[in-house]
Amino acid sequence: MLSIRNLCKTYANGVRALNDVSLDVPAGMFGLLGPNGAGKSSLMRTIATLQEADSGSIEFDGLNVLSDKDAVRRQLGYLPQDFGVYPKVTAEALLDHFATLKGYTARAERKEVVEALLNKVNLWDARKRQLGGFSGGMRQRFGIAQALIGAPKLVIVDEPTAGLDPEERNRFLNLLADIGAQVVVILSTHIVEDVTDLCPQMAIINKGQVLLAGEPMAAIAQLKSKIWRAVVSKAALPVLSEKLNVLSSRLVGGKPVLHVYSEGQPEVGFEQIEPDLEDVYFQRLRLHSKAA
Amino acid sequence: MILELFRFEMRQQLRSPLLWLLAGLFALLAFGAASSDAVQVGGAIGNVYRNAPIVTIQFLSIFTLMGMLICGVFVASALLRDFEAGTADLLFANPIKKRDFLIGRFLAALAACFVIYLVIASGIFIAQFMPWIEPVRLGAVRLAPFVFGLGVMVIPNVLFTCALLSLLAVTTRSVLWVYVGILGFLLAYIIGTVLVQDLDNVWLVTLCDPFGMRALSHTVRYWSASERNQLIPELSSYLLANRVLWSVLSIAIAAAALKFFRTDRAGTGRAWFKRSANAAPLLAKPFKAGAITAAPSFGASTAWLQCLAQLKFDALGIFKSAPFIVMLLFALINLIPNALFAETMYDTPIYPHTSQIIDALNMAYSWLLLIISMFYAGELIWKERQAKLSDVIDAMPTPNWSPLLAKLGALVLVIAVFQIAGALIGMLIQLGKGHMTLEPLLYLKGITLGAVYFVLIAGLALALQVYANNKFIGYALMILILLLQLAAASLDFTHNLYQYGSSPALIYSDMNGYGHFLKARLIFQGYWALWLVCLLLLASALWMRGTFTSNQERMKLAKARLKGPLGAALTVSIVGVIALGSFIFWNTNVRNNFLSPSQQLDLLARYERDFKKYAAMPQPKIISVDLDIDLRPETQTMRAQGHYRIRNPHAVPLKEVHIQMNDDDSLTQLDFQSPQAPGATLTFHDKDVGYRIYTLSQPILPGTERDLHFSVVLEPNGFTNSMAQTQIVENGSFFNSRAFPSFGYEKRFEIDDRSERRRRKLGEPERMAKLEDQAARANTYLTDDADWIAYKTNICTAPDQIALAPGYLKADVMRDGRRCFSYEMDRPMLNFYAYLSARWQVKKARYKDVALEVYYDAKHPQNVDRMLDSMQKSLSYFEANFSPYQHRQARVIEFPAYASFAQAFANTIPYSENIGFIADLRDPEAIDYVFYLTAHEIAHQWWAHQVIGANVQGATMLSESLAQYSALMVMEKEYGKDKMRKFLKYELDRYLSSRGGEILDEQPLYRNENQNYIHYRKGSLAFYRLREDMGEAALNRALAKFIAAKAYQTAPYTTSLELIGFLRAEAPPQVQQLITDLFEKISFYDNRIDTATAVKQANGKYLVTIQAHAEKRYADGTGKETATAMDDMIEIGVFSGSGAKARTLYLKRERITTGKPEFQILVDELPTEVGFDPNNKLIDRVSADNRKSVSVSEASASP
Repeated sequence: MLSIRNLCKTYANGVRALNDVSLDVPAGMFGLLGPNGAGKSSLMRTIATLQEADSGSIEFDGLNVLSDKDAVRRQLGYLPQDFGVYPKVTAEALLDHFATLKGYTARAERKEVVEALLNKVNLWDARKRQLGGFSGGMRQRFGIAQALIGAPKLVIVDEPTAGLDPEERNRFLNLLADIGAQVVVILSTHIVEDVTDLCPQMAIINKGQVLLAGEPMAAIAQLKSKIWRAVVSKAALPVLSEKLNVLSSRLVGGKPVLHVYSEGQPEVGFEQIEPDLEDVYFQRLRLHSKAA
Repeated sequence: MILELFRFEMRQQLRSPLLWLLAGLFALLAFGAASSDAVQVGGAIGNVYRNAPIVTIQFLSIFTLMGMLICGVFVASALLRDFEAGTADLLFANPIKKRDFLIGRFLAALAACFVIYLVIASGIFIAQFMPWIEPVRLGAVRLAPFVFGLGVMVIPNVLFTCALLSLLAVTTRSVLWVYVGILGFLLAYIIGTVLVQDLDNVWLVTLCDPFGMRALSHTVRYWSASERNQLIPELSSYLLANRVLWSVLSIAIAAAALKFFRTDRAGTGRAWFKRSANAAPLLAKPFKAGAITAAPSFGASTAWLQCLAQLKFDALGIFKSAPFIVMLLFALINLIPNALFAETMYDTPIYPHTSQIIDALNMAYSWLLLIISMFYAGELIWKERQAKLSDVIDAMPTPNWSPLLAKLGALVLVIAVFQIAGALIGMLIQLGKGHMTLEPLLYLKGITLGAVYFVLIAGLALALQVYANNKFIGYALMILILLLQLAAASLDFTHNLYQYGSSPALIYSDMNGYGHFLKARLIFQGYWALWLVCLLLLASALWMRGTFTSNQERMKLAKARLKGPLGAALTVSIVGVIALGSFIFWNTNVRNNFLSPSQQLDLLARYERDFKKYAAMPQPKIISVDLDIDLRPETQTMRAQGHYRIRNPHAVPLKEVHIQMNDDDSLTQLDFQSPQAPGATLTFHDKDVGYRIYTLSQPILPGTERDLHFSVVLEPNGFTNSMAQTQIVENGSFFNSRAFPSFGYEKRFEIDDRSERRRRKLGEPERMAKLEDQAARANTYLTDDADWIAYKTNICTAPDQIALAPGYLKADVMRDGRRCFSYEMDRPMLNFYAYLSARWQVKKARYKDVALEVYYDAKHPQNVDRMLDSMQKSLSYFEANFSPYQHRQARVIEFPAYASFAQAFANTIPYSENIGFIADLRDPEAIDYVFYLTAHEIAHQWWAHQVIGANVQGATMLSESLAQYSALMVMEKEYGKDKMRKFLKYELDRYLSSRGGEILDEQPLYRNENQNYIHYRKGSLAFYRLREDMGEAALNRALAKFIAAKAYQTAPYTTSLELIGFLRAEAPPQVQQLITDLFEKISFYDNRIDTATAVKQANGKYLVTIQAHAEKRYADGTGKETATAMDDMIEIGVFSGSGAKARTLYLKRERITTGKPEFQILVDELPTEVGFDPNNKLIDRVSADNRKSVSVSEASASP
């Protein structure tokens, strides 16, 4: 449904935010993975009609996104990364205002939409409260409610789960999963689990380039029997990092646990494990940074 | 620790470009104000040196008031930065004492602010070395005024400012509220200034000013120009007390700030209002999947409905915000004193007519609403981005123009709410004052017209915010534009075509409404509205939606947007601006003559250079005037056919007649043709200044007469850049003999201002001929065109109007649908006449066989009886004491508010609707200036219309000062001596404060050169004192003899010297010196009570001992004073009670000859107050210390 071709964008300071990005995004959830500064937000803002591209094209459902912005906006739901609110306005009033801007100019219909959405995101009881008093999770739920006004066909959510506690995060992801299979939902995140849990399709981007695009399962399958794990001592860490293709190292119970990419057992003490999307993610990033 | 915090913060502040930017901006302003008149800070410098100490000190003081806004930046940034940036927790996790933090930061902010004033002071200091300042406008280069200004004014003021702002910052924790606080403080300060104008309470007045400016101005209040040039104020009395008080208070405020300062996070403290809803816990319920059936729809009206919704949302957001409510309240509080005390004279209130209230509204709102419009323009444009909501909203399906239009609409609503609230308050004030005829429609018109300028400014501010794409740059651009406009105006760029938002003045008159002035106003405002449309369309093209990554991209996008209907609309409106602009230019500069102020002065200078040579050239004199006038108030047109009978009074034949016209185009025809004499040829014509020379075919021989016929047409030709003429209007026309040809060079066109003359190489100014100039006595000071004339006239006007002119009504008939009047004067009168026409009510009365009439507007009947009463009593007193009244009729005639004066023509007194007619005299304590002004104008029938001075110095002492004296006598009979004291106190105060603003030299009364503050104010004081010393009977006897000798005389006309001769002849020997002091010298007293004690005597009486200080000094024209011997009669008084309720226990005039007189007075009752010249009958530079309270003790044991 959404097809991005050769999208390029270089900022005035010389940073190449998008470097010949081409992606095909089908209906359903699409995960966009990448480290901070990878160009995720630039890509999403460009799709959301908020930023111009230097070259390339974006087509959505037969529409040229770069030139026919208004038509795209009528089908768009967007939850930006750094989403603020007017602190003194109630949830209901702001959502009502947004509904007008989204095209519900008739009062009765607007009321229905606002009520339904507030219920949907479970903010009905808090509808009369000022948004300034909302917790981070409530605010994100409010954000998704506004993104869903007008039954959008293209929903873009940029890093929505950052800073949420596990329960709120679950609740939020459930909401996203509810949106439906007929709609394109692009979810950008640097939390790999979000994608694993939700997205049938995904892409990994770094430094403005697409490193991988496709189904998460297929990507994981490619790494089968190539991921090795070991608990090592802190002292040994530098040597091992030098010698091996270390994908990640994290502390578990205070001791470093390494994931290593290797065709065969890299060292004594490493055990083969089932790869997951995180391994894919790190493997692609390591590969890309080596190439660069 | 404090030191470390201070150093760190100081480094931060000094590194901030904002500090240097603001300091630079202010320094530039100060530099401009000190080096040229193009920039003014707190009024013009006047006649003192540009670098006079007091100028420097006042500049520095005023900047401390204006500087509150920038100090706000630094204090708020120093104290709140960490809370706003969220780094407070980091900071206070360190072992920093909050006391150390606050003191360190506070001192740094204080130091940063002081640095700004150092920069400003440097700007002022450098200004005096600029080559374009004329050397005569500079005194010695001195550092002491800067030390004084910085030390005595700036440091305590900055301390106060920073303390107050710190208190605001720590209690509100919000930069916005700090600013609201500043705004509120400034308003309170201005209101305070209005409220404490009570003259008697100097200590309160000076002490309650945190900035010490009133204390400073009271200290130098009566300083002469020479003192202003030389002296630095003493740090004593009011000033010292003020400075000490406010420094102590400032430290206390700072201490309070320290007490209230909390280091915890905002919102964790005790809240005043807690919403229970916020406390309700939220249960995590399973999500309900709501079925949404409605779909958004996009039709033709969607975008408009969205825009309207956005407008409503933005406007409600503002209206519900506390700052808006606070600012609205401030504005209304600012309005109330303006409305209550509008246009008062002698502190007597006026009836609150709607037009006055609307004026007050415009005054009260002017700068305030300007700032508010600019402020909310920035707030609205940045609203979404500040709330981090712009991405969401920008991605919504609304057109680009919608948000900008909505924000403009919201701003219009903000302005409307201010205006409507003001109108409602105005109506309440009217009802409160018992004014029951409300005019809601007039309010609607008034506030709508008043709002246009603010809407234009608000729109410009919006556009600039969009262009700048940075809030502070947007604000800075707006301020820069306003400053540039001010600077351009003072540099002589005054055309409304390039002064954004400006249009000709519009005055509402109860008589004439907005009159014909409205048209030009609306055309100019339409022109600027079109400009605004262009600016907004361009802003719409540059509108920020999403993010632009570079300016090129922004331009590219703007170009793309302009290709559609937006571009077409822009093109249309640019064409509209050009078309309307051209139409305006055609009207103002082609059909009419546009001259900038400086060009006008240039023209006057050329007039003087080219034509002064004719000043002494003999010209004929008019002996009779016959005018036939066709007045068309409906079209503001007047056509006159005139006939002068002229005579050659000189010993030589007249070959040329020089004609001067104020408006050259209006003189359409002029000839000397008559059956007896051939005509004349126009041999010279300077159209720019209206000077023509006719060479007569046959000279007018000495003593012979000739006829002069002319036509004058006054007719509007399109509209002008400045306000249209106010003489011929729909209802309330008022024009005088100046509309008709006069003879020869007019000295009154000469420029008085020394520096303007110097700039045009014109030499020293000479306002009037010297008193001793015998040649100048050939003419009266009113005109050299005639002595006494015979006068008759016909005037036709609109059928529903009355037309008036001097003389007696001979006919009143309808002719061709016009109402025509004939008037004829039955005796010779001055060549000084006026025509008036309006729809009036008439009230009549009689004094003996004199018909008294008041012609007034139906809306202003209140004081008509007072006027008639005053006319009767005046005529009675003047006839009894001076001479018979020369007419059988006296008429007071109301004219519209375009001017605020009353003027006496023969038996005809035009009187502005703005004075007298709307005075509210219901309070018996109020000074009845209606009675007094009417008496003054009636007195002119003697003092000007019977005796008229020669055209030399002192001439107005014979007319104005004597009219003042005459009116004072009538008023004293009516209201008693106590009222006189109150009245004379005003006169004294106005005399003393006006002499500092003299632009040439102050003259003694008998040499005054038509100087208002001398011939009116000092005239009252001088004659009243003379009356006290020589007695009313003797003084009036002298005046009656003077009239008998000089009334209706011809050349040589009388002078002040001759009047003084008559006064001296009637005055006893001991008053002769007083006459010298009052009339021939500029003399001042410095009288005061040093100590006053009273001892209770055995018999129950009190012995009061008074030690006084007496001093008399003479001043020269520039205010330099020399001491002189004291020998005057001065009153000594002992009173019980004080102020208005004081009862006199003892009051006696004593001859004072020493500087330290002592008195012992026995009184019957407990004395509370004593006075040395207690009623301020003498011209005392400091009048407040003439009274002092008595310290009373019981009788001592010794006998």
